[in-house]
Amino acid sequence: MWWKLTSVILLLYTILAGFLVPLKSGIERVEPNTARTGEQVTVRFYGYNTFFSRPSEVPIRVWLYYNSSYALMADVVRPINDTILEATFRMPINLPEGKPFVLLNALADHPTEGASILPIAFTLHQTPGSTQIPLDSAWTARPVEKLHPQKGFSFPYQNILYETIRNTYFHVPMWFVLLFLFAASVWYSLKYLRHPETEYDRRAAAYAEVGILFGLMGLASGMVWATYTWGKPWSNDIKQLMTAVALLIYFAYFVLRGSFSDPEKSARLAAVYNVFAFASLIPLLYILPRMFDSLHPGATGNPAFGSQDLDNTMRAVFYPAVVGWTLLGFWIADLRIRFQRLKDRTLGLD
Amino acid sequence: MARRILTFLLWVGISLPAAFAEGNRDFMRETGKIYVVVVTLLVIFLGIVGYLVRLERKLTKLEHLSKDDA
Repeated sequence: MWWKLTSVILLLYTILAGFLVPLKSGIERVEPNTARTGEQVTVRFYGYNTFFSRPSEVPIRVWLYYNSSYALMADVVRPINDTILEATFRMPINLPEGKPFVLLNALADHPTEGASILPIAFTLHQTPGSTQIPLDSAWTARPVEKLHPQKGFSFPYQNILYETIRNTYFHVPMWFVLLFLFAASVWYSLKYLRHPETEYDRRAAAYAEVGILFGLMGLASGMVWATYTWGKPWSNDIKQLMTAVALLIYFAYFVLRGSFSDPEKSARLAAVYNVFAFASLIPLLYILPRMFDSLHPGATGNPAFGSQDLDNTMRAVFYPAVVGWTLLGFWIADLRIRFQRLKDRTLGLD
Repeated sequence: MARRILTFLLWVGISLPAAFAEGNRDFMRETGKIYVVVVTLLVIFLGIVGYLVRLERKLTKLEHLSKDDA
């Protein structure tokens, strides 16, 4: 009983914290986002959750920077309102390393509200015929320094994602629950193979069934998320494809169970099949997707949940979310097991 | 069965919000796309409820079965 209560409390916390904790401020876009060397340009910064017009003793500082050594600071910064800011730059006469163009990151630093960055926000092109060496001193005159951290408990701002970063607490735990349920399923399948008792088979089947439910909810919620971030529900992303394959393998488990009239034979073969299904689940969900380019975080060899996807504020919600959803999954599976036990006894099969 | 569940969840999650998006405003992309999170949670909620309804129907059938026996 205690664990069911824990599940409810953790999920309540997940939903409340997941929705109520604000997002850090960020820069959505800058306009214009391109210029030529030697020009004087007024760039508009469009912020998200920013407080550009909040008064402060020191003015807001704004940069367009190439890397830690080359940065351009705005000469004039004029906040229009909390989310729009105008910054006037005098572009240097040439570019670092003699490049034809450079991609610059946008940075706005408010003395009390903290700094926000938009990577690769601006393109600066070299005007033909003025590539003379040495490099314009504007690149190094006022480097990015003494930034102010954003205070308070808040989730990271990421372009494209915006508030949907909160889906980390709802979409991602589905896959954790699926893994735990399928692991429980294979555990009871192995137990059944050692001691063929109906109870073990019942449990294996119920955990697999509820695991599939969470897989379907994970797939559907992922497709909703993808529609508004990747642009379409299904992008044939390697992780999407492999997940679909894994779920089909588990569907086959139930097809196999249903195709024998002898319950003992059915249970035995299903248990063997379940071991192979679980063995294929691991490469399908956790190894193959990392070997190919993917839209998902954690592709091409990077572990998922690096510091860019999940910071400490998010961990404080994400881990309770995983535990909460997992307990809920086992609760539902528990109901399924108890139903099957009752049914088997009523039909005289146990 | 699983295909029907998935189809229903996707209809709720993708087609329905897209229908509201017709016209000039796309409410799913307003206010920092927060409604995407709401719909995601809705999809999960309906998935669980759908499963519980299915389980209840089976239970009802079993109750009738044991009543017939008695």
